[in-house]
Amino acid sequence: MQTRSTQVSQEVASNPGRTLRRSLWLAGAVVFALSMVIAATALPVFSRQPAAPQASPTSTISGVQCVIGCENIKPNSKGTISVVPTGLQFATDKDTAAISTASIEDIFVGNQSRQDVSGVGGTIAKAAIPYGGGRIVSLFSHKVEVLSVEYVDSNGGFHGAIYVLPVGQATSFRDQLVAQGAKVSAHVDAAVAPEEKQ
Amino acid sequence: MKTVTRAAFPSIFAVVATGAALLLGGSLVAQPGPAGKPTAAPQQPLKLTASAIQIERTDPPEDLQVPEDFRISTYENVILQVEKTKKFGHVYRSGDRRAADAPDLIILRMVPQAYKAGSQKQREVTTVSGGTSIKIRVTFSHRDGKVLLEKDLDGKVRFFGDNLRATYDFAKKVADVVNESF
Repeated sequence: MQTRSTQVSQEVASNPGRTLRRSLWLAGAVVFALSMVIAATALPVFSRQPAAPQASPTSTISGVQCVIGCENIKPNSKGTISVVPTGLQFATDKDTAAISTASIEDIFVGNQSRQDVSGVGGTIAKAAIPYGGGRIVSLFSHKVEVLSVEYVDSNGGFHGAIYVLPVGQATSFRDQLVAQGAKVSAHVDAAVAPEEKQ
Repeated sequence: MKTVTRAAFPSIFAVVATGAALLLGGSLVAQPGPAGKPTAAPQQPLKLTASAIQIERTDPPEDLQVPEDFRISTYENVILQVEKTKKFGHVYRSGDRRAADAPDLIILRMVPQAYKAGSQKQREVTTVSGGTSIKIRVTFSHRDGKVLLEKDLDGKVRFFGDNLRATYDFAKKVADVVNESF
Protein backbone atom coordinates (compact mmCIF):
# COMPACT_ATOMS: atom_id res chain seq x y z
CA MET A 1 0.00 0.00 0.00
CA GLN A 2 2.74 2.30 0.96
CA THR A 3 4.60 1.30 -2.21
CA ARG A 4 1.54 2.08 -4.40
CA SER A 5 0.92 5.50 -2.89
CA THR A 6 4.54 6.24 -3.39
CA GLN A 7 4.15 5.24 -7.07
CA VAL A 8 1.09 7.51 -7.50
CA SER A 9 2.91 10.38 -5.87
CA GLN A 10 5.77 9.86 -8.20
CA GLU A 11 3.39 9.72 -11.19
CA VAL A 12 1.67 12.98 -10.15
CA ALA A 13 4.95 14.60 -9.67
CA SER A 14 6.17 13.43 -13.07
CA ASN A 15 2.99 14.34 -15.09
CA PRO A 16 0.85 17.00 -13.34
CA GLY A 17 -1.03 18.07 -16.54
CA ARG A 18 -2.42 14.63 -17.14
CA THR A 19 -3.66 14.36 -13.58
CA LEU A 20 -5.38 17.73 -13.85
CA ARG A 21 -7.14 16.71 -17.06
CA ARG A 22 -8.29 13.49 -15.49
CA SER A 23 -9.67 15.37 -12.49
CA LEU A 24 -11.50 17.83 -14.71
CA TRP A 25 -12.95 15.02 -16.79
CA LEU A 26 -14.19 13.25 -13.65
CA ALA A 27 -15.71 16.45 -12.24
CA GLY A 28 -17.47 17.14 -15.56
CA ALA A 29 -18.89 13.63 -15.65
CA VAL A 30 -20.22 13.98 -12.12
CA VAL A 31 -21.80 17.36 -12.91
CA PHE A 32 -23.36 16.01 -16.09
CA ALA A 33 -24.79 12.99 -14.27
CA LEU A 34 -26.21 15.16 -11.52
CA SER A 35 -27.81 17.56 -13.98
CA MET A 36 -29.39 14.65 -15.85
CA VAL A 37 -30.85 13.29 -12.61
CA ILE A 38 -32.22 16.73 -11.64
CA ALA A 39 -33.66 17.30 -15.10
CA ALA A 40 -35.35 13.92 -15.09
CA THR A 41 -36.99 14.55 -11.71
CA ALA A 42 -37.99 18.14 -12.57
CA LEU A 43 -39.45 17.31 -15.98
CA PRO A 44 -42.95 16.39 -14.76
CA VAL A 45 -43.08 19.54 -12.61
CA PHE A 46 -42.16 21.91 -15.42
CA SER A 47 -44.31 20.15 -17.95
CA ARG A 48 -47.42 20.69 -15.74
CA GLN A 49 -48.76 23.92 -17.16
CA PRO A 50 -51.58 25.86 -15.45
CA ALA A 51 -53.89 24.85 -18.26
CA ALA A 52 -53.36 21.15 -17.65
CA PRO A 53 -56.53 20.73 -15.57
CA GLN A 54 -58.51 21.92 -18.59
CA ALA A 55 -56.92 19.27 -20.74
CA SER A 56 -57.86 16.52 -18.33
CA PRO A 57 -61.27 17.54 -16.99
CA THR A 58 -61.92 16.76 -13.38
CA SER A 59 -65.56 16.14 -12.60
CA THR A 60 -65.26 16.46 -8.81
CA ILE A 61 -63.47 19.10 -6.76
CA SER A 62 -63.58 19.43 -3.01
CA GLY A 63 -63.03 22.59 -0.96
CA VAL A 64 -65.16 24.68 -3.32
CA GLN A 65 -67.03 27.64 -1.86
CA CYS A 66 -70.66 28.22 -2.76
CA VAL A 67 -70.90 31.99 -2.32
CA ILE A 68 -74.67 32.19 -2.71
CA GLY A 69 -77.57 30.58 -4.49
CA CYS A 70 -77.26 26.94 -3.45
CA GLU A 71 -80.69 25.67 -2.42
CA ASN A 72 -80.95 24.82 1.27
CA ILE A 73 -77.27 25.54 1.80
CA LYS A 74 -76.02 28.54 3.74
CA PRO A 75 -74.09 31.19 1.78
CA ASN A 76 -70.29 30.82 1.76
CA SER A 77 -70.44 27.13 2.62
CA LYS A 78 -67.61 24.91 1.49
CA GLY A 79 -68.20 21.56 -0.12
CA THR A 80 -67.65 19.34 -3.11
CA ILE A 81 -68.76 20.30 -6.60
CA SER A 82 -69.17 17.71 -9.28
CA VAL A 83 -70.54 17.27 -12.75
CA VAL A 84 -72.98 14.36 -12.71
CA PRO A 85 -74.87 12.97 -15.72
CA THR A 86 -77.91 15.06 -14.79
CA GLY A 87 -76.05 18.33 -14.30
CA LEU A 88 -74.15 20.14 -11.58
CA GLN A 89 -74.13 19.06 -7.95
CA PHE A 90 -72.79 20.77 -4.85
CA ALA A 91 -72.66 18.84 -1.61
CA THR A 92 -71.72 19.79 1.91
CA ASP A 93 -71.58 17.50 4.92
CA LYS A 94 -75.30 18.07 5.53
CA ASP A 95 -77.05 18.97 2.29
CA THR A 96 -76.85 18.64 -1.45
CA ALA A 97 -77.94 21.15 -4.07
CA ALA A 98 -78.37 20.04 -7.64
CA ILE A 99 -78.91 21.95 -10.88
CA SER A 100 -80.16 19.98 -13.83
CA THR A 101 -78.51 20.62 -17.17
CA ALA A 102 -81.84 21.31 -18.86
CA SER A 103 -82.64 24.12 -16.42
CA ILE A 104 -79.37 26.00 -16.97
CA GLU A 105 -79.87 29.22 -18.92
CA ASP A 106 -76.36 30.61 -18.86
CA ILE A 107 -72.91 30.01 -17.41
CA PHE A 108 -70.27 32.64 -16.73
CA VAL A 109 -66.63 32.28 -15.74
CA GLY A 110 -64.71 35.13 -14.15
CA ASN A 111 -61.40 35.69 -12.42
CA GLN A 112 -60.85 37.08 -8.96
CA SER A 113 -58.14 37.11 -6.36
CA ARG A 114 -58.65 36.07 -2.78
CA GLN A 115 -56.59 36.90 0.26
CA ASP A 116 -54.52 34.03 1.63
CA VAL A 117 -55.34 35.14 5.17
CA SER A 118 -58.94 36.26 5.47
CA GLY A 119 -62.05 35.86 7.53
CA VAL A 120 -62.65 36.98 11.09
CA GLY A 121 -59.76 34.95 12.50
CA GLY A 122 -57.37 36.13 9.82
CA THR A 123 -58.38 39.74 10.30
CA ILE A 124 -57.81 39.53 14.04
CA ALA A 125 -54.47 37.83 13.50
CA LYS A 126 -53.40 40.52 11.04
CA ALA A 127 -54.47 43.25 13.42
CA ALA A 128 -52.43 41.64 16.18
CA ILE A 129 -49.18 41.86 14.24
CA PRO A 130 -47.27 44.90 15.54
CA TYR A 131 -45.95 47.81 13.50
CA GLY A 132 -48.53 47.32 10.76
CA GLY A 133 -47.18 43.92 9.81
CA GLY A 134 -50.69 42.77 9.03
CA ARG A 135 -50.63 44.88 5.91
CA ILE A 136 -47.65 42.88 4.65
CA VAL A 137 -49.65 39.69 5.19
CA SER A 138 -52.49 41.25 3.18
CA LEU A 139 -50.19 41.40 0.16
CA PHE A 140 -50.36 37.63 -0.21
CA SER A 141 -53.26 36.52 -2.34
CA HIS A 142 -54.10 33.86 -4.86
CA LYS A 143 -56.12 33.77 -8.05
CA VAL A 144 -59.42 31.96 -8.17
CA GLU A 145 -62.08 31.40 -10.78
CA VAL A 146 -65.72 32.23 -10.22
CA LEU A 147 -68.35 30.02 -11.83
CA SER A 148 -71.78 31.65 -12.05
CA VAL A 149 -74.72 29.54 -13.17
CA GLU A 150 -78.14 30.95 -14.04
CA TYR A 151 -81.02 28.48 -14.05
CA VAL A 152 -84.78 28.25 -13.61
CA ASP A 153 -86.80 26.09 -11.24
CA SER A 154 -89.88 24.02 -12.08
CA ASN A 155 -92.12 27.10 -11.65
CA GLY A 156 -90.06 29.23 -13.97
CA GLY A 157 -88.40 31.16 -11.13
CA PHE A 158 -84.96 32.51 -11.95
CA HIS A 159 -82.04 31.39 -9.77
CA GLY A 160 -78.36 32.13 -9.74
CA ALA A 161 -75.55 30.25 -8.04
CA ILE A 162 -71.96 31.40 -7.58
CA TYR A 163 -69.04 29.06 -6.87
CA VAL A 164 -65.38 29.86 -6.23
CA LEU A 165 -63.01 27.28 -7.71
CA PRO A 166 -59.26 26.95 -8.22
CA VAL A 167 -57.85 28.53 -11.37
CA GLY A 168 -58.65 26.58 -14.53
CA GLN A 169 -61.35 24.43 -13.01
CA ALA A 170 -64.35 26.68 -13.68
CA THR A 171 -63.67 26.65 -17.41
CA SER A 172 -63.45 22.88 -17.33
CA PHE A 173 -66.78 22.63 -15.52
CA ARG A 174 -68.44 25.00 -17.96
CA ASP A 175 -67.15 22.98 -20.90
CA GLN A 176 -68.46 19.76 -19.41
CA LEU A 177 -71.89 21.26 -18.79
CA VAL A 178 -72.01 22.69 -22.29
CA ALA A 179 -71.13 19.26 -23.63
CA GLN A 180 -74.11 17.91 -21.70
CA GLY A 181 -76.37 20.43 -23.41
CA ALA A 182 -76.41 23.44 -21.08
CA LYS A 183 -77.27 26.74 -22.71
CA VAL A 184 -74.57 29.40 -22.83
CA SER A 185 -74.98 32.76 -24.48
CA ALA A 186 -72.20 34.75 -26.08
CA HIS A 187 -71.24 37.52 -23.73
CA VAL A 188 -68.49 39.94 -22.87
CA ASP A 189 -66.55 39.07 -19.76
CA ALA A 190 -67.22 42.07 -17.55
CA ALA A 191 -64.55 40.95 -15.09
CA VAL A 192 -61.84 42.07 -17.48
CA ALA A 193 -63.59 45.28 -18.38
CA PRO A 194 -62.27 48.61 -17.12
CA GLU A 195 -62.40 48.55 -13.37
CA GLU A 196 -64.22 51.78 -12.81
CA LYS A 197 -67.39 52.91 -14.45
CA GLN A 198 -69.62 55.56 -13.01
CA MET B 1 -117.61 75.68 63.20
CA LYS B 2 -120.74 74.30 61.66
CA THR B 3 -121.56 77.69 60.06
CA VAL B 4 -118.05 77.94 58.59
CA THR B 5 -118.33 74.48 56.94
CA ARG B 6 -121.61 75.35 55.31
CA ALA B 7 -120.15 78.59 53.92
CA ALA B 8 -117.10 76.78 52.45
CA PHE B 9 -119.11 74.08 50.71
CA PRO B 10 -120.08 76.05 47.56
CA SER B 11 -116.55 77.21 46.92
CA ILE B 12 -115.14 73.69 47.36
CA PHE B 13 -117.83 72.38 45.03
CA ALA B 14 -116.93 75.00 42.46
CA VAL B 15 -113.24 74.05 42.56
CA VAL B 16 -113.97 70.33 42.25
CA ALA B 17 -116.47 70.90 39.44
CA THR B 18 -114.00 73.08 37.51
CA GLY B 19 -111.28 70.46 37.90
CA ALA B 20 -113.58 67.71 36.68
CA ALA B 21 -114.63 69.80 33.70
CA LEU B 22 -111.01 70.46 32.79
CA LEU B 23 -110.13 66.77 33.04
CA LEU B 24 -113.14 65.81 30.91
CA GLY B 25 -112.29 68.38 28.27
CA GLY B 26 -108.67 67.31 28.18
CA SER B 27 -109.57 63.67 27.77
CA LEU B 28 -111.95 64.48 24.92
CA VAL B 29 -109.27 66.43 23.06
CA ALA B 30 -106.74 63.63 23.58
CA GLN B 31 -109.10 60.94 22.24
CA PRO B 32 -108.11 59.52 18.83
CA GLY B 33 -110.33 60.36 15.91
CA PRO B 34 -112.65 57.92 14.18
CA ALA B 35 -111.10 54.88 12.53
CA GLY B 36 -109.71 55.48 9.06
CA LYS B 37 -109.05 59.19 9.63
CA PRO B 38 -105.42 59.77 10.56
CA THR B 39 -104.87 62.19 13.38
CA ALA B 40 -102.79 65.26 12.79
CA ALA B 41 -100.58 64.95 15.87
CA PRO B 42 -98.37 61.86 15.15
CA GLN B 43 -97.09 62.21 11.58
CA GLN B 44 -96.27 58.64 10.51
CA PRO B 45 -95.53 57.65 6.89
CA LEU B 46 -98.31 55.78 5.20
CA LYS B 47 -97.48 52.08 5.12
CA LEU B 48 -97.92 50.04 1.97
CA THR B 49 -99.60 46.68 2.14
CA ALA B 50 -99.14 43.60 -0.01
CA SER B 51 -99.41 39.90 0.55
CA ALA B 52 -96.80 38.97 -2.03
CA ILE B 53 -93.77 40.43 -3.75
CA GLN B 54 -92.00 39.42 -6.91
CA ILE B 55 -88.35 40.32 -7.22
CA GLU B 56 -87.18 40.88 -10.75
CA ARG B 57 -83.61 40.16 -11.78
CA THR B 58 -81.23 43.10 -11.96
CA ASP B 59 -81.09 44.56 -15.40
CA PRO B 60 -78.28 47.09 -15.94
CA PRO B 61 -78.44 49.61 -18.77
CA GLU B 62 -76.44 48.83 -21.88
CA ASP B 63 -73.79 51.43 -21.15
CA LEU B 64 -73.01 50.05 -17.71
CA GLN B 65 -71.08 46.82 -17.36
CA VAL B 66 -71.71 44.98 -14.13
CA PRO B 67 -70.07 41.55 -13.69
CA GLU B 68 -72.47 38.64 -13.83
CA ASP B 69 -71.51 37.37 -10.40
CA PHE B 70 -72.35 40.81 -9.02
CA ARG B 71 -75.79 40.79 -10.65
CA ILE B 72 -76.56 37.29 -9.46
CA SER B 73 -75.30 38.00 -5.96
CA THR B 74 -77.41 41.17 -5.76
CA TYR B 75 -80.55 39.33 -6.83
CA GLU B 76 -80.04 36.37 -4.50
CA ASN B 77 -79.05 38.52 -1.52
CA VAL B 78 -82.12 40.73 -1.95
CA ILE B 79 -84.37 37.66 -2.03
CA LEU B 80 -82.76 36.33 1.15
CA GLN B 81 -83.04 39.65 2.99
CA VAL B 82 -86.63 40.38 1.88
CA GLU B 83 -87.65 36.89 3.00
CA LYS B 84 -86.07 37.60 6.38
CA THR B 85 -88.29 40.66 6.91
CA LYS B 86 -91.38 38.37 6.95
CA LYS B 87 -93.48 41.25 5.59
CA PHE B 88 -94.92 39.20 2.74
CA GLY B 89 -96.71 35.90 2.60
CA HIS B 90 -94.84 34.93 -0.55
CA VAL B 91 -91.63 36.12 -2.12
CA TYR B 92 -91.66 35.13 -5.76
CA ARG B 93 -88.63 34.99 -7.97
CA SER B 94 -88.41 36.59 -11.37
CA GLY B 95 -90.37 34.55 -13.88
CA ASP B 96 -92.26 32.50 -11.29
CA ARG B 97 -95.62 31.60 -12.88
CA ARG B 98 -97.37 31.34 -9.51
CA ALA B 99 -97.07 35.11 -9.06
CA ALA B 100 -99.78 35.60 -11.69
CA ASP B 101 -102.39 34.30 -9.23
CA ALA B 102 -101.28 36.44 -6.28
CA PRO B 103 -104.10 38.91 -5.44
CA ASP B 104 -102.13 41.98 -4.37
CA LEU B 105 -98.70 41.56 -5.79
CA ILE B 106 -95.94 44.13 -5.62
CA ILE B 107 -93.05 43.96 -8.04
CA LEU B 108 -89.54 44.99 -7.02
CA ARG B 109 -87.28 46.08 -9.86
CA MET B 110 -83.58 46.89 -9.55
CA VAL B 111 -81.71 48.90 -12.15
CA PRO B 112 -77.99 49.49 -11.50
CA GLN B 113 -76.98 53.12 -11.88
CA ALA B 114 -73.27 52.99 -11.11
CA TYR B 115 -70.66 50.39 -10.35
CA LYS B 116 -67.12 50.79 -9.09
CA ALA B 117 -64.98 47.70 -8.85
CA GLY B 118 -62.45 47.76 -6.04
CA SER B 119 -59.72 45.47 -4.81
CA GLN B 120 -59.74 43.50 -1.58
CA LYS B 121 -55.94 43.55 -1.42
CA GLN B 122 -55.81 47.32 -1.91
CA ARG B 123 -58.46 47.83 0.77
CA GLU B 124 -56.65 45.75 3.33
CA VAL B 125 -53.22 47.20 2.62
CA THR B 126 -54.15 50.87 2.38
CA THR B 127 -57.49 51.02 4.31
CA VAL B 128 -58.39 54.21 2.42
CA SER B 129 -58.69 53.04 -1.17
CA GLY B 130 -59.90 50.07 -3.15
CA GLY B 131 -63.51 50.22 -2.03
CA THR B 132 -66.19 48.52 -4.10
CA SER B 133 -69.57 50.17 -4.52
CA ILE B 134 -72.74 49.73 -6.48
CA LYS B 135 -75.67 52.09 -6.76
CA ILE B 136 -79.03 50.66 -7.74
CA ARG B 137 -82.43 52.26 -8.30
CA VAL B 138 -85.06 50.24 -6.47
CA THR B 139 -88.68 50.53 -7.58
CA PHE B 140 -91.72 49.01 -5.89
CA SER B 141 -94.69 49.00 -8.22
CA HIS B 142 -98.08 47.42 -8.76
CA ARG B 143 -98.62 44.80 -11.38
CA ASP B 144 -100.10 47.46 -13.67
CA GLY B 145 -96.91 49.49 -13.49
CA LYS B 146 -98.03 52.15 -11.01
CA VAL B 147 -94.95 53.11 -9.01
CA LEU B 148 -95.48 53.03 -5.25
CA LEU B 149 -91.98 53.74 -4.06
CA GLU B 150 -88.69 54.52 -5.73
CA LYS B 151 -85.29 54.94 -4.09
CA ASP B 152 -81.63 54.94 -4.99
CA LEU B 153 -79.68 52.67 -2.68
CA ASP B 154 -76.02 51.81 -2.63
CA GLY B 155 -73.95 48.91 -1.41
CA LYS B 156 -70.35 49.33 -0.32
CA VAL B 157 -67.44 47.40 1.04
CA ARG B 158 -64.75 49.70 2.39
CA PHE B 159 -62.41 47.75 4.63
CA PHE B 160 -62.80 44.01 5.04
CA GLY B 161 -64.47 41.39 2.93
CA ASP B 162 -64.50 40.47 -0.73
CA ASN B 163 -66.09 42.58 -3.44
CA LEU B 164 -69.39 40.69 -3.45
CA ARG B 165 -70.00 41.82 0.10
CA ALA B 166 -71.18 45.12 -1.41
CA THR B 167 -74.24 43.28 -2.70
CA TYR B 168 -74.99 42.02 0.82
CA ASP B 169 -74.74 45.59 2.11
CA PHE B 170 -77.16 46.72 -0.60
CA ALA B 171 -79.60 43.92 0.18
CA LYS B 172 -79.64 44.88 3.85
CA LYS B 173 -80.63 48.41 2.84
CA VAL B 174 -83.44 47.07 0.66
CA ALA B 175 -84.68 45.12 3.67
CA ASP B 176 -84.59 48.30 5.75
CA VAL B 177 -86.75 50.06 3.15
CA VAL B 178 -89.19 47.15 3.18
CA ASN B 179 -89.37 47.28 6.96
CA GLU B 180 -90.01 51.02 6.94
CA SER B 181 -92.54 51.05 4.11
CA PHE B 182 -94.59 47.86 4.59
